[in-house]
Amino acid sequence: MILEMTRVQIVGIRGDLQRAVRKLHQIGTLQIDNIHNIPDAPIQEFSINPETQKGQEDSRYLITQIQGLIQTLGCEQAAPADSLSDIAPREIRAQINTLSPRVQELNLARRELESEQEILPRYITTLKKLLPMVPDSANQPGNATIGVLIDVSHINTLDWISKRVLEITRSKAEFVAASVDENTQAMMIVCPRAYASEIETLLGQKDVSQLNLPAEFSHLPPQRSLEALNQRLETIPLEIEEIERRFEELAAEWCPKLNHWLLMLEDTLDEVEVLSRFGETEHTFIIYGWVPARDYEALKSSLEAEIGSRIFVSALEMTPETRKLAPVAMENTRLVRPFERLVRLRAVPLYEDIDPSGLMALFLPVFFGMMLGDIGYGAVLLVLCLALGRRMQSGFLSDILKILRIGAVWSMVFGALYGEAFGTLGEALGLRPIWMDRASPENMMGLILSFVAVGAIHTMLGLVLGIWQAAVHHNRSHLLERGGMLVGLVGLFLLTGTLANLLPKSLTSPSIAVIIVGVVLLGTSMGKAGIVVGPIEFVGVIGNILSYMRIAAIGLASVYLAKVANDLGGMLGNLVVGALVAVLIHALNLAMGAFSPTIHSMRLHYVEFFRKFYEGGGRPYTPFRSHSSPDSR
Amino acid sequence: METGLIALGAGLAIGITAIATSIAQSRIGTAGVGALTEKPELIGSIIILVAIPETMVILGFAVAAMMLIGGGGG
Repeated sequence: MILEMTRVQIVGIRGDLQRAVRKLHQIGTLQIDNIHNIPDAPIQEFSINPETQKGQEDSRYLITQIQGLIQTLGCEQAAPADSLSDIAPREIRAQINTLSPRVQELNLARRELESEQEILPRYITTLKKLLPMVPDSANQPGNATIGVLIDVSHINTLDWISKRVLEITRSKAEFVAASVDENTQAMMIVCPRAYASEIETLLGQKDVSQLNLPAEFSHLPPQRSLEALNQRLETIPLEIEEIERRFEELAAEWCPKLNHWLLMLEDTLDEVEVLSRFGETEHTFIIYGWVPARDYEALKSSLEAEIGSRIFVSALEMTPETRKLAPVAMENTRLVRPFERLVRLRAVPLYEDIDPSGLMALFLPVFFGMMLGDIGYGAVLLVLCLALGRRMQSGFLSDILKILRIGAVWSMVFGALYGEAFGTLGEALGLRPIWMDRASPENMMGLILSFVAVGAIHTMLGLVLGIWQAAVHHNRSHLLERGGMLVGLVGLFLLTGTLANLLPKSLTSPSIAVIIVGVVLLGTSMGKAGIVVGPIEFVGVIGNILSYMRIAAIGLASVYLAKVANDLGGMLGNLVVGALVAVLIHALNLAMGAFSPTIHSMRLHYVEFFRKFYEGGGRPYTPFRSHSSPDSR
Repeated sequence: METGLIALGAGLAIGITAIATSIAQSRIGTAGVGALTEKPELIGSIIILVAIPETMVILGFAVAAMMLIGGGGG
């Protein structure tokens, strides 16, 4: 149902502006129009002073800082502190400035430890490979050990390095080499410490990678370096754990405050940004907006209680032009509410449209059930939706799960009508169809015709709604178009009845006449091109009805895949393996069975049904509401 | 022989229309995704445009079903 809206004008004294805006924000029912979009407003746009603009920038910066801290501390799900009183932005900034350095310090320390945890094993691996070959001289205090890593494609460079090092050290160096991995060769040079820097300079000139251990280990002999590295690797997780514990302490202390300040600052920013939508005169501010008609009196009395007689709230007359600008607020029962999201996916209704959410709630799950039509699949889907639905209270997925739940129930109903439970397994267990066995070839034509009949009824319902809409809004063109389609379809059904010997043959000529009348009415609505376009459009409507055959097609695909699962499971000869194969194929069929019927049911509504009566293109109702309000979360 | 030809005809009826539908939908879908990156609010219209060519495969299915049933090949 689309709520009736009232167009509102609020005029107040400039001195009361801040209180009025705050009150409107708390009430949260008024959608404020931009003064630029109101052609008949004889006032100028509200000007915001530089001090307020500066405050706006400061608030935005603070919000960004707080959002960063919330993300780092993992506070997104934490509830804001309710008992905290509001404080000025500069006090918030002061407190953020004490928290930020602590968080940054912990973050940096954690990153360094994680980096160390990643790098140290590589050093350990290299040292382990070289250590067995390192000479005893490496452990003497006067000697230095230099590690070199080189790609196997440049292995000849090692010979050159060896020769140059022997020249520099006057043959007082020892070398050991080993393969680190398939691409890397390592060499360790043991020499007197006095020559170490000259050798490192030489290696630097040749752009050779050195095995540079962290500073605290580089001065140790190789064996002791390895021991120290291993010890360090064992202590790093403990240090990381300590940092995480300190993060948790900070989060427990600060998260409620941060979330409270974030909401507060977002509200403050909204209250400043909304000013650009207002109008002003020398002494007054003027607001134009929309409120649900049932909330108008509450809005008026709340503002007058807050400001007194210095504020004037009035309901403006709705002209046909302003009605087109009205925002659309949909309100439906709990059962229908999830379908509002699907309607909005197509387009937000116009203010004067029918809200098709209720119709979609009625027909979409039935079509879903007709397609899936299986007691077993319906039961499993219902259980899954109930289990997953407990974890999600709101959002797109939560709405889809609610829709699938209803569809699962209808699947079980149609499963009983078709006599299906996990495909043909139901038949093996003694289940018999109440209506017809879908899988049987003899019933295929009956099945197709049944769903074409469903499509005819659904399409004609759409046309009836479309005609009603056109009559209410005095739209002659739409009235002729939809009336012509309906009349033409009635004639077509009469003709089909006479050809199928369901109706007397004497009705043949009248039914053809009715078809012609319908097509002529349809063509008339389209002007001069109607003589050609009219018949084409009529054929298009027939195509729309035939499109409902997809219910049979998708249903049969599901049945035959289930049959394959059962037959294949039975053919394997081993109970366990057969059951496993059958379960896997049934699981795949269920996954497709949840997805495909949903999409096709939606498509039948969007293309075949809605196009008969639904315009769409309205603007949604987005009231000026505080972020702290439960309706905002 | 006749049964085989009926089955072949039914297979061609649905196979060719399925190929035609998939070619049409792939092009529309590609263009639609490109449009969505610029204007996410177009999703409703794009779903409709992508769905329109499906009528071809539905009619192919109907022809295949009639051939199988009418020809006794079901």
